[in-house]
Amino acid sequence: MSRALAFLLSAVVVSCGRQVGPAPPPSDPNLPPAVRNEAHIVAGTVPPHGVELTNPYNADPAVAKRGALMFTAMNCDGCHGGDASGWVGPSLSDQRWRYGGADSEVFSSIYYGRPKGMPAFGGTLGVDGVWTLVTYLRSLPVPPTVSTESWQEP
Amino acid sequence: MLICRISILACIGAGALLCGSVAAAGRPGPAGGDGEWSMPAKDFAATRFSALADITPPKAPTLHPVWTFSTGVLGGHEGQPLVVGGVMYVVTPWPNVLYAFDLSKDGYPLKWKYRPDVSPNAIGVSCCDTVNRGAFYADGKLFYNLLDGHTVAVDAATGREVWNTRIAEVGNGETVSMAPMVVKDRVIVGASGGEFGIYGWIKGLDAKTGKVLWTARNIGPDADMLIRQDTFKPTYDNGTDLGAHSWDGETWKTGGAPVWGWVSYDPELDLIYYGTGNPSPYNPEQRAGDNKWTASVLARRPGDGALVWAYQFTPHDNWDYDATGAMILADLKVGGKDAKVLVHFDKNGFAYTLDRATGRLISAEAFAHVTWAKSVDLSTGRPVLDPDKQTGVSRGNVRGVCPSLEGGVSPASPAAFSPRTHLFYTSTNNLCMDYAAARSTHLKGTPFIGANSPYSAGPGGNLGAFIAWDAVTGKKVWENKEEFPSWSGALVTAGDVVFYGTLDGWFKSADAKTGKVLSKFKVGSGVVGNPITYRGPDGRQYVAVYAGIGGDWALLSGDVRSDDPADVRPPADFMKNIARHTSQGGMIWIFGL
Repeated sequence: MSRALAFLLSAVVVSCGRQVGPAPPPSDPNLPPAVRNEAHIVAGTVPPHGVELTNPYNADPAVAKRGALMFTAMNCDGCHGGDASGWVGPSLSDQRWRYGGADSEVFSSIYYGRPKGMPAFGGTLGVDGVWTLVTYLRSLPVPPTVSTESWQEP
Repeated sequence: MLICRISILACIGAGALLCGSVAAAGRPGPAGGDGEWSMPAKDFAATRFSALADITPPKAPTLHPVWTFSTGVLGGHEGQPLVVGGVMYVVTPWPNVLYAFDLSKDGYPLKWKYRPDVSPNAIGVSCCDTVNRGAFYADGKLFYNLLDGHTVAVDAATGREVWNTRIAEVGNGETVSMAPMVVKDRVIVGASGGEFGIYGWIKGLDAKTGKVLWTARNIGPDADMLIRQDTFKPTYDNGTDLGAHSWDGETWKTGGAPVWGWVSYDPELDLIYYGTGNPSPYNPEQRAGDNKWTASVLARRPGDGALVWAYQFTPHDNWDYDATGAMILADLKVGGKDAKVLVHFDKNGFAYTLDRATGRLISAEAFAHVTWAKSVDLSTGRPVLDPDKQTGVSRGNVRGVCPSLEGGVSPASPAAFSPRTHLFYTSTNNLCMDYAAARSTHLKGTPFIGANSPYSAGPGGNLGAFIAWDAVTGKKVWENKEEFPSWSGALVTAGDVVFYGTLDGWFKSADAKTGKVLSKFKVGSGVVGNPITYRGPDGRQYVAVYAGIGGDWALLSGDVRSDDPADVRPPADFMKNIARHTSQGGMIWIFGL
């Protein structure tokens, strides 16, 4: 127990020092016992970060552009639609978020997955790739209005 | 469209809870024979015809609801209930709850309820909502599929699980929405995933134990497809390994060919028939060749799965024309002679009649507005293509392709056949599309699509219709136009009454001979399920149907949703006002005289 705690603390220190991201994916054998068994982690069960995550690419337009390409290349658009405007998965461009729209929350959604079918892409994309996607999504223009009114005569 | 969307296709539903009353204590139930509905399409031939005749055109106007139940689930309620031995069985969309209602007691109380453990991860791997197309009753058990790739057998008396077999891999893009077929101690099941680049298959399970006895791929080398040269006799093709050689390189390995529709069975020929879905990805330039046997009908022996014949409706499908719609087995007079045929309304807009012993094409006529092909050549079995409607990245945005990839009819909306009128009855869609293909990369378990395809109304402006079709002459006999795409299955009875629902939430009965609407009732949510009829324990004829818009419409009419404040969308531009008429729901309705 104390060994696990010590490891957790050292992991936090490392994370803070590098300013990169959260704990490694749950398959890592060095994880604390509570999350060592992958079967105990369903999509969306986000382990605590221990630190506030910050986007290393904060609003960098070149990274956002790369993220747009990645959004298509990784088939994100297959569920979330072209321009992230929504399809079988929710819109990511309407400034409404099921699981929070802060950088760290969007990061967690992509990295760890979410319970209604969002796969965990952390293992595929890595920390850097996920931040690239976050940067793209956060670069999408805020719509002037979001359609929320009931049906109206045209 | 203001915003390009990637279009998809596929998938299910059912449901149940309670209010209302009726169902008097009754005479001893005549459960059995034509008073029941024990399998998805009523019979092995998939006719959706019932010999019950209490409800007739003169009496149908008095049809009224006698019972309702909320399933507590909002997914698209495709599929249909079953009624066996005075009990109604209902499967819901994910999480695939199975309800049993005692029809012999006042208020139809719950007899039992079975709640399987179904992984929510499957939700993100189902292309087009979390539908389920229903259960199959045989030998005192209910067999049905769970979205996350399991088949279960449940004891009909107690609701206890008898076996539970994993048949599909969600991680590979496979989910299961289809209704099983049970013949000769085999439970026949297949997987969805034409939008995820699966290696499509069908399996035969032991009905007693759930053990997988055979697995047959729908594409790929002969060995994988359970093709033996001494038993496989397709009419229009020869050669070995057609399911691999008709693909560019090894593209068949991610070539789709899902099984998400219906299975029918001819006991005399001992053949099961089922359709395969689209090839993956939607961009056809990533998979040169015919892409056999996608968008095809396959005839197999249920005992060992051996393929006996196959016919491809849409070679090298460019438009997501799945052929997973019902294969209806009928005996018709063709050219004055009795013929054992298979009739299929395809997404591609043609209604096909084939010799069901050999797979030889007898006729193919358009039942919807078709622009991708001019006709089907009966000597070669191949469509005569319009070269301007071929798609692919190099062709840019191809305009005016009809039908749209929703299909001239959706495979989710099975037709019915009446041996009394000799007519087929089906919902139809009147939609066209522009089709802009894009290169797509296969990443296991993620969408493998590569096309934007916004829709528009076809000629006439009505988006749907319900029609009667003469498969011998290849002509429409009557048509009831509908404002919205028609997505419900059909039911026809010996009372010469047909039943269907509409996307804006009407449940209708009509005269089978003329199409005259006899009754209609607003059921609260759009109908994408299939009506059934049965004789209750009180001796009376009832009609049951699900209400609960969904399936593809969960994607295409986002403004009918109310359940997610984080996902608000404008109306679809080809169907701006559907939300004025309906919203999500999940109800079972029963109607009586």
